[in-house]
Amino acid sequence: MGLGLIASRAIRPVNFFSSSRFLLRTIVSKPELQSSAAAADASPEPDLPPRTPVGGARVHFTNPEDAIEVFVDGYPVKIPKGMTVLQACEVAGVDIPRFCYHSRLSIAGNCRMCLVEVEKSPKPVASCAMPALPGMKIKTDTPVAKKAREGVMEFLLMNHPLDCPICDQGGECDLQDQSMAFGSDRGRFTEMKRSVVDKNLGPLVKTVMTRCIQCTRCVRFASEVAGVQDLGILGRGSGEEIGTYVEKLMTSELSGNVIDICPVGALTSKPFAFKARNWELKGTETIDVTDAVGSNIRIDSRGPEVMRILPRLNEDINEEWISDKTRFCYDGLKRQRLNDPMIRGADGRFKVVSWRDALAIVAEVAHQVKPEEIIGIAGKLSDAESMMALKDFLNRMGSNNVWCEGTGTQPNADLRSGYIMNTSISGLEKADVFLLVGTQPRVEAVMVNARIHKTVRANNAKVGYIGPETDFNYDCQHLGTGPNTLKEIAEGRHPFFSAISNAKNPVIIVGAGVFEREDKDAIFSVVETIAKKGNVVRPDWNGLNVLLLNAAQAAALDLGLVPESSNSIDSAKFVYLMGADEVNLDKLPDDAFIVYQGHHGDRGVYRANVILPASAFSEKEGTYENTEGCAQQTLPAVPTVGDARDDWKTIRALSEVAGMRLPYDTLGGIRSRMRMVAPNLLQVDEREPATFGHSLKPEVTQKLNPARFKSAVENFYMTDAITRASKIMAQCSASLLKK
Amino acid sequence: MAHALQRIWNHGRAMRATVCPLSRPFSSDALVQLQPGEIGKVSGIPEEHLRRRVVIYSPARTATQQGSGKLGKWKINFMSTQKWENPLMGWTSTGDPYANVGDAGFNFDSEVAAKEFAERHGWEYVVKKHNTPLLKVKSYAENFKWKGLPKTDGN
Ligand code: SF4
Ligand code: FES
Repeated sequence: MGLGLIASRAIRPVNFFSSSRFLLRTIVSKPELQSSAAAADASPEPDLPPRTPVGGARVHFTNPEDAIEVFVDGYPVKIPKGMTVLQACEVAGVDIPRFCYHSRLSIAGNCRMCLVEVEKSPKPVASCAMPALPGMKIKTDTPVAKKAREGVMEFLLMNHPLDCPICDQGGECDLQDQSMAFGSDRGRFTEMKRSVVDKNLGPLVKTVMTRCIQCTRCVRFASEVAGVQDLGILGRGSGEEIGTYVEKLMTSELSGNVIDICPVGALTSKPFAFKARNWELKGTETIDVTDAVGSNIRIDSRGPEVMRILPRLNEDINEEWISDKTRFCYDGLKRQRLNDPMIRGADGRFKVVSWRDALAIVAEVAHQVKPEEIIGIAGKLSDAESMMALKDFLNRMGSNNVWCEGTGTQPNADLRSGYIMNTSISGLEKADVFLLVGTQPRVEAVMVNARIHKTVRANNAKVGYIGPETDFNYDCQHLGTGPNTLKEIAEGRHPFFSAISNAKNPVIIVGAGVFEREDKDAIFSVVETIAKKGNVVRPDWNGLNVLLLNAAQAAALDLGLVPESSNSIDSAKFVYLMGADEVNLDKLPDDAFIVYQGHHGDRGVYRANVILPASAFSEKEGTYENTEGCAQQTLPAVPTVGDARDDWKTIRALSEVAGMRLPYDTLGGIRSRMRMVAPNLLQVDEREPATFGHSLKPEVTQKLNPARFKSAVENFYMTDAITRASKIMAQCSASLLKK
Repeated sequence: MAHALQRIWNHGRAMRATVCPLSRPFSSDALVQLQPGEIGKVSGIPEEHLRRRVVIYSPARTATQQGSGKLGKWKINFMSTQKWENPLMGWTSTGDPYANVGDAGFNFDSEVAAKEFAERHGWEYVVKKHNTPLLKVKSYAENFKWKGLPKTDGN
C-alpha cells in the first residue's frame, strides 16, 4: 500500500489531464504477468471504487423484488432478473466489446466478440446472449477473455479489407477501435481475402460489402425498427452476404440509421462519402425541426459548413434514431439561401439594398395601411422567440391577425390538451390499441411511427386507421376513409369500437391535417365522444392525442398565435410572412405589400415585395416545442449566410424603425416575455403535460362533412423550405417515391 | 495488479480534486474569496469575452460507435459562429478567440466543475439536460418466444 502511495504521487502528473475513465477498464496486455494477480483478486476488496453504469445508464426494474446480485470483476452489482451478462457488466461500468449486440435490437449472438469468462464455466461465454444468474462471477479482464477476444478479432480481420485510409467509417469504426484495444498485433492469415459485390440500396446508403462482418445489425434494424423486410443474409460460410436478394432499393424512411449501426464501413452515408473525416468535424448538440417530433441531433460542421447530421440519444423522443429527412436535409441549408435584404423594383426584379433602407420601407408601408389590414404569418420552421416578437410587433401596430401556417384559420389554442400529444411519445409504448384518425404517422412523424411499430411488435397492439389509402409498416386495419367511419365508431356501430372499449390503454391519434378542415370542431367532438365512451381519458391514462405536423405549431398555439378573423387574407394590404411558404395567397388583393422574411428563396418569395434574410435552425438559438409538449432549444452550429439575421432580431429592429419599440433586446429579455405568455416554453427539455382535459370544451354545433380525409404530407422528403432546396431529398423523392 | 492500479488511480483522483484549480475552486477557508468573473478579469481577458453566454453539456455518445470511453465528460459550448472561409486559401478564419476552445481538450469531470469554471470567468451559462440510456431486460430467448399466430396481411 505504501508503495502504491508513492507510486501514485509519481504518476499523478502524468495522468493529470487524462480522462477519468481511462484506467477504469484495465486492458490486460501481458497475460503472463497478469494471470497470478488477476486470479488472486477474485474476492471483492473493501476499497473498490464506486462504479457508475456505462454512459450513466439508468436501470429499469420492472419489479424491485426481482433483483439479483452478480459480481463483475469482483464488484457486486444488483440487476433485474433476466438481464444478460453483458448488461450486468454495463451496469457495473465495464464496457464489453461487441459487434452484433445493439441495445435497441434483438440479440443475435453471432459475432462472439463479447466473450467473457464466467467462473465455473468451462468455456468463455458470449455475454450478450447469456442471462446473468444470481451470484455469477463474471470476469472481463482475464487472460482467457483476452485470448478469446484476440481470436475472434483475428477471424474477423481475416476477410476484412485494409481499407481504413479510404474508408469513411475510419476514425469512428468499432472494428478499428476494438482491434486496437483487443486485437493481436499481427495476423496469421496469408490467403486471399474474399470480396463481395456491392449492393445498391438507394441514394442514401453507400455499400462496400467487402467490409461487412456479418453482424446482421442492419438486417435486424430493417425488420425490427424500420419494419421493412428488405435486407437479409444470403449464403453461408465465406459466401455469406448481406443483400436484398433481388436488386431493390431500401424504401424506408429510417434507412439512414443503418449507417450508424453498421459497426464497420460496409454501410456509409452516400451524400457524405469522401467529404470529410469525422475527426475534423465539430459537433453541436441541437434539435431537428423538419417535423414536429423534435428529434435530438448532433450537427457536425467543418468550418462554416454543415457536413452531416447524426442522431443523439433521447429515450423519450427519438431513442437513438432519426428519419432520413432529418439526417440528409442538410445540403438544403447551403442552397437557395437568401443572403441580403432585397426590394422588388418597378421592373419586377429584386435589388439588393441595405438593412436600413429595407426596414425603413417596410415600416413606412406598414404605417400607411389600416391596422386591421396588417397580417402576419409565421412559417412552419419558426422558433418561439420570433413568433413572440412577431405577435408583439403586430399587436403594437394594432393588428391581431397573426397565426402560424398549418394550424388552420380557427385554431383551438385555448386548451393545450387539444393540440399536443397527451400520451407522450414514449408513453405510446404502453398502449394496446391505436386509432389513427386522418394521420399517416409514417410520413408525418417518423419517430412516432417507429414507436407505434415498436409497440405493435412488442405487445401485438391493434391499429385501426381512418384516412386515405396509404402504406403502413405494421399490421393495420383500414377502417374507412372519412368522418362517417368515425361517427360509426362513436355510435358504437363499428366493430372497432369494442376494441377500443376493451383495451387497457387505448390511444387515439388525430392528425394535424384535420386542422385545415372546415368541420374540424365537429370531428374533434366526435373523437371526444369516442374517447369518453371508450374510456380513453382516465386519471392515470390520457390516450387522446393530436399529432402535429410542423416544428412551430405547438409553440405557436401556446403563444396564442390565433387570427382574429378567419378571412383576414381577403382584405389584407400588408402581409408579413415570417418563413411562411405554404399559405394560400390567391385571395390576397393585388395591391397588397408582402414582406418575406426567411432563409430560403422558396414559394414565399414569388410575390414578395421585400425580402429580409433570416438564419436557419442550424445557425440560431431558438426554442421549439415538439408535438408532445416538450420545449427544446437549438444551438447555433455554423455561421449564418451573408447578411442574414435571426428572425426575432429583425422584427425587433423593424419595431424600432416603425417607432413601436419592443421592450426586449436580448434573447434573455424575449424569453422572459415568453415566460409571461407560455411559461412551459422555458422548461427546456422537460415535457409539460396539459393540465385541463377536454371536458371543458363548449358544445359544438358544427356539422360533420362526409368528405374523406386528405393526406397531410404529399411528399415525405420535401415538406419545408430546407428540404425543398435539398438535392439529396430531390433524389430521394425521385427514386424512392417513384414520382 | 489491476486493483493496485485502480487504487493508485483513485488516489490520484482524490489528489486532483483538492489540488487541481482547473476543476475545483480554492477551498472555502482560503483567505481570498473569489468573486464571480474575477479570474477572467485578472487574466486580462477582454471585457466582451467576460460576458459571454455559454452552454454546459455532456456530449452524447456518437451514434456510429458503441464505445463509451468519451462518455460522462462535461464540456462548454461557446456558441461561436464567427467563422468564414478565407478568400485567399479557402481555410476557415474566425474572429473569436474561443472558437476552438470548447471543442478541444476542454473537459470537466462533473457538471459542478464546469459550472464553477464558467462562474469564475463570469460567463452566463445554461446547463443542458444530460440524456442517459435506459437499460431494460433483454434476452436471447425473446427471439423464439411465441407471440401468437402470425397475422395475415391487410385487414
Ligand atoms: S452491413 Fe454492416 S450492419 Fe450489416 S451485417 Fe454487415 S457489418 Fe453488420
Ligand atoms: S456481441 Fe455477443 S456475440 Fe456479438
